Amino acid sequence: MALTQNQTRWALITPAGLWYAALLLLPLAVVLIFSFGERSTVGGYAPGFTLEQYANLPARFAAFRNTLTLAPLGTIASLLIAYPLAYFLAVKVSPRWKTMLLVLVIVPFWTSILIRSYAWIFLLGGRGIPALLDWLGIEGVRLINTPFAVLVGIVYGYLPLMVFPIYVALEKLDKRLLEASADLGTPPWRSFLQITLPLSMPGVLTGTMLVFILLMGEFLIPAILGGGKVFFVGNALVDLFLQSRNWAFGSAVAVALVVIMLIVVALYGRLAKRFAVNRDDMDLM
Amino acid sequence: MTDNGNPISRKKFMEELRRFQNGSVSRRHFLGVTGLGTAMTVMSGAMPGLLGGRAQARDISDRVILATWPNYHDPENFEAFKDATGAFTQVNVFGSNEEMLAKLQAGGSGWDVFVPTNYTITTYVEAGLIEPLDLSKLPNYDPAAFEARFSDAGTVDGTVYAVPKNWGTTGIASNTDHTGGVVDSWKTFFDGARDQWSGRAMVHDYQLTTIGNALVYFGFSFNSVKPEELAKAEELLIDVKPHLFAISSDYQPAMRNGDAWLTMCWTGDGKQLNTDMPEIGFALGKEGGEIWSDYYAIPKDAPHREAAYALINYLLTPEVNAREALAHGYPVADSRTNALLPADLLNDPILYPAAESLSALEFGAAATLTDPNRAELMARFKSA
Amino acid sequence: MRLYAALVYLFLYLPIGIIALFSFSAGRSASQFQGFSTKWYGRALENPFVIEALWISVEVALISAVLASVVGTMAALALTGMKGRLKMVFDLMIHVAVMIPGIVIGIATLIALVSVFDIVNPWLEAVSGFRLSMGYGSLIAAHGLFTMSLVVILVRRRLEALDRALLEASSDLGAHPLGTFRQVTLPLIAPAILAGFLLSFTFSFDDFIIAFFVAGSETTLPIYVFSSIRRGVTPEINAIGTMVMAASLGLLVVTQVILRRGGARSTDVQSEPVERPKVDRS
Repeated sequence: MALTQNQTRWALITPAGLWYAALLLLPLAVVLIFSFGERSTVGGYAPGFTLEQYANLPARFAAFRNTLTLAPLGTIASLLIAYPLAYFLAVKVSPRWKTMLLVLVIVPFWTSILIRSYAWIFLLGGRGIPALLDWLGIEGVRLINTPFAVLVGIVYGYLPLMVFPIYVALEKLDKRLLEASADLGTPPWRSFLQITLPLSMPGVLTGTMLVFILLMGEFLIPAILGGGKVFFVGNALVDLFLQSRNWAFGSAVAVALVVIMLIVVALYGRLAKRFAVNRDDMDLM
Repeated sequence: MTDNGNPISRKKFMEELRRFQNGSVSRRHFLGVTGLGTAMTVMSGAMPGLLGGRAQARDISDRVILATWPNYHDPENFEAFKDATGAFTQVNVFGSNEEMLAKLQAGGSGWDVFVPTNYTITTYVEAGLIEPLDLSKLPNYDPAAFEARFSDAGTVDGTVYAVPKNWGTTGIASNTDHTGGVVDSWKTFFDGARDQWSGRAMVHDYQLTTIGNALVYFGFSFNSVKPEELAKAEELLIDVKPHLFAISSDYQPAMRNGDAWLTMCWTGDGKQLNTDMPEIGFALGKEGGEIWSDYYAIPKDAPHREAAYALINYLLTPEVNAREALAHGYPVADSRTNALLPADLLNDPILYPAAESLSALEFGAAATLTDPNRAELMARFKSA
Repeated sequence: MRLYAALVYLFLYLPIGIIALFSFSAGRSASQFQGFSTKWYGRALENPFVIEALWISVEVALISAVLASVVGTMAALALTGMKGRLKMVFDLMIHVAVMIPGIVIGIATLIALVSVFDIVNPWLEAVSGFRLSMGYGSLIAAHGLFTMSLVVILVRRRLEALDRALLEASSDLGAHPLGTFRQVTLPLIAPAILAGFLLSFTFSFDDFIIAFFVAGSETTLPIYVFSSIRRGVTPEINAIGTMVMAASLGLLVVTQVILRRGGARSTDVQSEPVERPKVDRS
């Protein structure tokens, strides 16, 4: 039973197609529909068609504000920390050690963020770093359950994800360009600004976009390290679905979040074109 | 009688209880040394079939799924249940009634037994999420042995939907080393939280108690849903928020390591904290607060109904309930169970407060669960 | 520079070290070291809830990774060289699936499936006595959505970089398309499939946020850890965490070894494109 090439293609793509339809398109459609509905009296969804949920979005302004301030901050902070490390690994480390050191960066990322964040509860709590500072004479420093703690958790959690794309971009850099530049008498910082940095931009963009997008949906780190006082959009969503049980409003918030993300991605696409990014670099590894 | 035949002294009992709760000694040791183990053996010998052996003709599945609160049971009871009936108890833990309700509303929770608090039961009945109980399958439940106020919320319109597990109160736990005395007033609590104890106080991540106690601060009812009163409570909470150490129902770690000095606290936690760290005192708020009762109930469409009944029946057996009480440290309203507990426990002012201090407390009201304003208030408070 | 790198590695591994350190504490507190003991490892391994959660996590991760790898590879094969509307649609869906926040997809999947079950169950139950509910199925399906997309991306990249000349040569020599696939294509994309499988397994095993919403009454290991963290912690959690981390590390090391030994050109989990040999076509 020989299939034509076309039939083969259809046969191969159908399972995936069905999967996407049932578990991506359907859920997103349902959320969209629910966002136009109402809260039923005992909580949950009551069918309806109203824009009142969207009109109510400002009630969660604080959550959006927190997310949209801490997420960029966390992204930039992790970029500043990750870039030098990626540079070091790509340019300064001998090939023998490269892989191992790179794997060592990635391994924490592939272990549960839950457990890793939990360690910071101790480190930032009364018996951790503040105790150390106390001993050094700096008293009364409160680190846990603050936006700072959440920031630390964010940077810590997403650092490996930022390092990897930058490393990949820098790895492709032809060292001979740098050598030539040095031969021509350019000071190292100039070479960096004019050669290295621009060529690494695709990696920087990929990394920042990835981290930023993931941060916008973050819920766990604020929950664990924020002590209930730092409220991200993710936390607002969990609250709306699992505590106040206002599914209609929750759906509207979810839609708002997705829309913001789509805008960010579109902006990224624009920027990426400016740096003539190869589509392949939109890789999420 | 203890293992060596002599009655145990009060002091030694409390010592052993503390060591047991610390995890320093095993349950076996504790039961042996205090004589409770012997007592239970005698009892179960005297009343065969208490543990519901396999002799029962009912068809019980191999598992039963229980949705409950943290540190609320003795895991060894589940072991014994498994040995007796072959059913393995799978435990899901929740931190608030809202979460349980949300899960049940979402459908397909898969639970067989869950532990709702008194004020939620009418809502479950209204939403059609809960089964009327067939009391013939719960021979160990003796309504007469329970204090009415702790068991009547389980009966709605004459039908029994839930049977009582244990009761408790919501009060204030304070580290007297830092607060200079046990804090026993909500006024002191909230004023202190934003003033001299700034950065050291915690409130529950739970609308009922956090909003409720803020209302009580002003002299309003714990269960109020009046917009003006809620507005004042919200003002207070938002004012206090920057000074709070955390908004969390998991306050034990912070109290234990000294990060927090003051927190809203449930009875059993208060008892555990005070036992391990005597400088932490527990007191009820003078102005009022919450008294509550937790129940066992069966959700509609529970997949293993027979096992659910068997489990509830088992856990209500006085001897088993006594072991549970020793594990979770909350007061039980069953007189038969209390008869098996040591006098020290029964006289403990934390667990069984004097009637006068209880009179200011209120049972939670169903309105707080369904009122959208209270839920919104809590969300606004948390995101502020 | 070396110092800087060392500091960053310290930053990365200090918390992990703390977790491991306190897992050996003899006392009940997870934030105060009170003597050395390995008892919490014993407790964790004997805790039936932990074992059950671990078992569920492993099962779900395994099944969803297998399904994701198979279906994802099939889709990647279909999409390579495809043109037109359908390809654009799939491209869009793949990228949405990967980028959408876990919390949104978790919630959306929950309410969508619940609504569907509400409609379907009364009828289904009357006909067969069987009812659909959230649990293993929804978990595997939800995890698989994301991981299948990962597999598609990885395998497609590899496929597109494959030297067409090899495939042409194979069919020129009279090989049946299936034979070409089995003997030429498959071995060449195998590292990508394997990498996809392992990433899928790890993602599913470690996932908390999606499982939190769609797991029904099943408790995966991350869900168990989360509820334990929320409620008063003993070093048992540290012990669990340390064991999980050690296992993840071990798995990644094994991956590296397999990929190296398998003769893959790349030395990390992301395959680099195969070099196109310069063929003189004159």
